[in-house]
Amino acid sequence: MTLVLPTAAPRRKANFTAYELTVFGVVVALFLLALIGPMIAPADIYTSNMLETLLPPSAEHWLGTDDQGRDIFWRLVAGSRLSLFATVLVVILYSIIGMIVATLATVGPRWVDELLMRITDIGLSLPGLVVSLGIATVLGPSLQSGIIALALTGWPMTARILRTTMRQTMEQPFVEGARILGVSRTRLMLKHVLPNSLDVLIVKWAGDISFTMLILAGLSFIGVGAQPPSPEWGAMISGARGYMSIAWWAVAAPGAAIVINAVAFALLADILQVRRDPSLQA
Amino acid sequence: MAYLRLISQRLVMTVLTLWGLATLVFIMIKLIPGDEAQVAAGPGASPEQVASVAKRLGLDLPVLQQYLNFLLRMLRGDLGTSVVSSKPVLTELAAVLPSTIELMILASIIGTVIAFPMALVAATYRGKAFDGITRIIAVTGGAMPAFWLALMLQFFFGNVWRITPISGQHSFGISSPNVTGMPTLDALLAGDMVGFLDAMAYLILPAIVFAIPFAAQVFRLLRASLLGVLASDMMLPVRAKGASTSRMVLRHALPNSLLPTVSLMGVLIGGMVGGAILVETVFARRGVGSFLANSVALKDTYAVLGAVMFVGIAVCLVNLVADIITLMLDPRIRGAQFRAGAK
Amino acid sequence: MGVDTILTDGIVPAQVRRRPESLLQVDQLSIDIATRDANVRLVDNVSFGIGRGERVALVGESGSGKSVTAQALMRLNSRVKLSGRVQFDGTDLLSLSPRQMTAMRGQRMGMVFQDPMSSLDPLMTIGDQVAETLRIRGVSKREARQRALDVLDELKVERAAERLDSFPHEFSGGMRQRVVLAMALVGEPHLLIADEPTTALDVRVQERVLDLLDEISRRRSLAVLLITHDLGIVAGFADRVMVMYSGRIVEENEATLLFAEPQHPYTRGLLEAVPRADITVDRLRSISGAPPAPAARPSGCTFHPRCDHAMAVCTSVEPGETITPLGARVRCHLYGEG
Ligand SMILES: Nc1ncnc2c1ncn2[C@@H]1O[C@H](COP(=O)(O)OP(=O)(O)OP(=O)(O)O)[C@@H](O)[C@H]1O
Ligand code: SF4
Ligand SMILES: [Mg+2]
Repeated sequence: MTLVLPTAAPRRKANFTAYELTVFGVVVALFLLALIGPMIAPADIYTSNMLETLLPPSAEHWLGTDDQGRDIFWRLVAGSRLSLFATVLVVILYSIIGMIVATLATVGPRWVDELLMRITDIGLSLPGLVVSLGIATVLGPSLQSGIIALALTGWPMTARILRTTMRQTMEQPFVEGARILGVSRTRLMLKHVLPNSLDVLIVKWAGDISFTMLILAGLSFIGVGAQPPSPEWGAMISGARGYMSIAWWAVAAPGAAIVINAVAFALLADILQVRRDPSLQA
Repeated sequence: MAYLRLISQRLVMTVLTLWGLATLVFIMIKLIPGDEAQVAAGPGASPEQVASVAKRLGLDLPVLQQYLNFLLRMLRGDLGTSVVSSKPVLTELAAVLPSTIELMILASIIGTVIAFPMALVAATYRGKAFDGITRIIAVTGGAMPAFWLALMLQFFFGNVWRITPISGQHSFGISSPNVTGMPTLDALLAGDMVGFLDAMAYLILPAIVFAIPFAAQVFRLLRASLLGVLASDMMLPVRAKGASTSRMVLRHALPNSLLPTVSLMGVLIGGMVGGAILVETVFARRGVGSFLANSVALKDTYAVLGAVMFVGIAVCLVNLVADIITLMLDPRIRGAQFRAGAK
Repeated sequence: MGVDTILTDGIVPAQVRRRPESLLQVDQLSIDIATRDANVRLVDNVSFGIGRGERVALVGESGSGKSVTAQALMRLNSRVKLSGRVQFDGTDLLSLSPRQMTAMRGQRMGMVFQDPMSSLDPLMTIGDQVAETLRIRGVSKREARQRALDVLDELKVERAAERLDSFPHEFSGGMRQRVVLAMALVGEPHLLIADEPTTALDVRVQERVLDLLDEISRRRSLAVLLITHDLGIVAGFADRVMVMYSGRIVEENEATLLFAEPQHPYTRGLLEAVPRADITVDRLRSISGAPPAPAARPSGCTFHPRCDHAMAVCTSVEPGETITPLGARVRCHLYGEG
C-alpha cells in the first residue's frame, strides 16, 4: 500500500464557515459532556427500579427506561465519559506506540528502519478488528482488554505516516543546518521533527477517534469489551438487544449516541483534511 | 519483467504477513491464562483427554520447538480443533465461508453501484450543492456502527414493517441442494426462482449494512482522486481539445483514478470480514463472522484463534488479488511485461 | 505568406505596413484570481491582435503572466476571472457559454503545453489521444484514426502506423511533444497557442520540433502564438514579438525591428542579456533584481525599481501606451508625449 501525504500548506487565516464552526462546537460540547457527564447524572441510574422497566420515551424519561427501569438518557450521559475517554485513550496509546516506532525507524540505522517498516506493513495488512477480537478473547472480556487489544493493533498506520513525515523533515535544509551547528540528534527530533509531525497527526486523530469509537463499541457488542451493566454505549446496546422488540429505544438511543460522536469527529477530520489540502474542497 | 518482479514482491510480502500473523497467534496462545492443554481440550475434558491433547500439541517440548511445530501445522492447514464441535476449525470454516463470500460480493456490488455514480457526479459538478451534500452523507455513512445499523434495519424492516425476513438465510422449506454453499447461487443452479428471491430477501439487509460504509469510503477516495487527476497538468491538453467536463471525468479522470480505488476496495472488502463478526451475528447468518462470534461466546479460544488465522489469510489473499489487478490495469507495467515477453 | 516583409535598409512606417486579416483580437484583457485573502490581478489590461497565418511571440521572465494569458485565450483555467474582450474569428469568446466555448476549443484553436511528460494521459493510447480531438466532434472512429495517423506522419513520427496503439510511456520526450502537437493540429485549427513547447526538451530535439512547427504553420498558413523564454527561438520564427513584464505588455513590434531597435528599457535589458541567440532570458544578468509578485507590484511603472532610466515620474505615474516612429507599441515614460 502506498501513501500519498498531503504537502503541508502554509497556514491560512482562520475564516471558518458557519458549518465548520458548528462542527467544532459539537465536538467541544461532546468533550465537555464526557467530562461532566458522570457528575451530573442522578445516582439511580446504577440501581434497578422494577416499577419503571421498559418505559417508552416520555417527558420524565426522555429516552425511556431499560429492563432494569434505569433512565436511558442519563445512562448515556453517564456513559459518555467511558465511551469517549476509552476511545481517546486507545488513540493516545497507539499513537505513542506509533511515535516510538517511527522515531526508532528514523534515527536508527538502516536495518532497524527496514525491520520496523516490514513489521508495520504486516500490521497494516492484518484485519484490525479480528486480531483485536483474538487478543481481547485471550485477555478475558473487559473494557481494559478491548482498550489494550485496540492499542496493540492500531499503531501501524500512525507509524507509517509519521516515519514518512519525519524523514521528509529530516531532509529539510534547516535540520541539516542545525546538525552542522552541533545540535544533538535527540534534541533535533524533539524540537523540530516531532512538532512538524504532530501537524500531520492532528488531522488523523479526529478520524481515528471516530473510527475507534465504532470498533470499541463493536467489541463490547460481541462481548469482549465492556460488560453490562456498564453504561458504555456498546455494552448498553448489547444488553438491550434481547428485548429490542418490546423496547427498541433502548437499542436506538445508545447507537444514536455513538453515531453522533462518530459523525462529529469524522466531519471534524474531513474539515481539517480539506483545510490542509484545499484541492479537495467542495 | 517489472510486472513479474512486482507480483513476486507482493507474494513475498503476503507470505511474510501470514508468518507474522501466525507468530502473533502463537504468542496469544502462549499468553492464555491457565493450563494450555486444558484450554485446548475444553473445560469439560477429563484428565486423560487433557494429557492426550498435551501430547498431540507437543506441550512438553521446548517453546522454540513448539513454535516450529505450530508453523508446520499452519502450513498443513491445521488451524486447530474446535472444542465445542470437536471438528477441525478449517473444516467448519470452509463450510460457512461461501455464505460470507456471497454476502461480501453482494455488498461490494451495491456499494460500487452507489459510490461510483455519486463520485463521478460530485467530481463533475464540483462545488455545487450535490457535491457538498454527498460529501456530508459520505462522512456520515462512513461513521455508522455496523452492528447498530444492522439491528435498526432488522428491527424496522423485519419486525415493524415486515418487508424483509428477520434473520437466517432462507425460509423454512425453501432451500435448494447445497452445491456452492451460497443459498442464492444454489437456488439459481437448481433453477429455483422462488428460492433465489427468498435467499435474496434474506441477504439484502446484511448486504446493505456492509455496503453503506464501503460506499462511503470508495466515494471519498474516488472523488478525491478524480479531482486530483482533473487538476493535474494532464487535463489541460484534454480541455484544450474541446472535451466536455463529463468526457474529462469519464474518459480520463476515471481510468486514472481506478488504480488507487481498486487497491482501496481490496482493503475494504478484506475489512468486511471483520465487520461480518458483528453483522452475521445480528442477522443469525451462517458465516465466518458468526462462527468467530459464537466461539467467543462459548469461550472456545482455540477456535477463535484458528478463525483469526483463517480470516487473516483470507484478507491477505483479497489484498493480493486487488494489488495484482491494480498492476494489470496499468499499461506502464503491463506494457513492460509484454515487451519482455516479445523478446 | 500574407505577412509583410521588412526592407532591410529602410523602415516602413507602421501605418503603411500591410497587416494580415485579423484572426484574434484581444482588448483590455485582465485576469484576476481570488485567493482567500484578496483579489490578485495576474494580468492587467492587455491588448493585442494576431492575424491569419501570422506568427507572434510572447516573451518575458518567469511569472510575468504568459501562461495565464495563453490559457485565458481558450478559457482553460476556470479558477481565474477574465474581463475585457477576446474576439476570435468574429466571436467574443468571453461571452460564450461554457458549452459554446467547449465547442470552440480543439476545432478552431489548439494549444500545446510545456511539459510533454505530464501532458498525456498515461492510460490511453497515442492514437486514441490524437483522435479524441476529432471523436469529440463526432468524426467516425475509422476516419479519426486515419487522420490521426496522417497528422503523426506530417509531424514525422516514425512508424506512426505501428505506434498508434502504443502508450505514452513508450515514447521519448521529443516524440511525446509531437504527439501533443498532433492532438492540437489534428482538428485543423486556425490558431495554435504553443506555451513553451520546447523548454522541457534537449537542445537538438528542440530545434527539430521548432522546424516542424515552422513548416506546418507555413504549409497550413496557421497562426501561431509562441510563448517562450528563449529569444533565440523567437528570432528565427516569429513575425512579431510582444514583451511581457509583470502582467502587462510593455513593448510590441515586428520581430526584426524589435531585435534591431529595442525601445523599452526592459526589452533592451532582455536583449543585452542575450549576447548569443541560444541563451534564454529566464535569468537576467544585465537587469538586477527580480520581477515583482502579482500581489505586490510597485506603483507607477512596475519596472522602475529595476530600471536604469527611471525618472521621478516613473515611481508614481503608470506610463500609457505610445507608438514610436519605429512602429513599436511601448509603455514607458521615455516615449510619452510629456
Ligand atoms: N492559480 C494561481 N493562483 C495564484 N497565482 C497564480 C496562479 N496561477 C498563476 N499564478 C501567478 O500568476 C503569475 C503569472 O504566472 P504564469 O504561469 O502566467 O507565468 P509565466 O509567464 O507563464 O511563467 P513561466 O515562464 O514560469 O511559465 C505568477 O506570478 C503566478 O504566481
Ligand atoms: S517608465 Fe520609467 S521606469 Fe518604466 S521603463 Fe520607462 S523609464 Fe524605466
Ligand atoms: Mg508558463
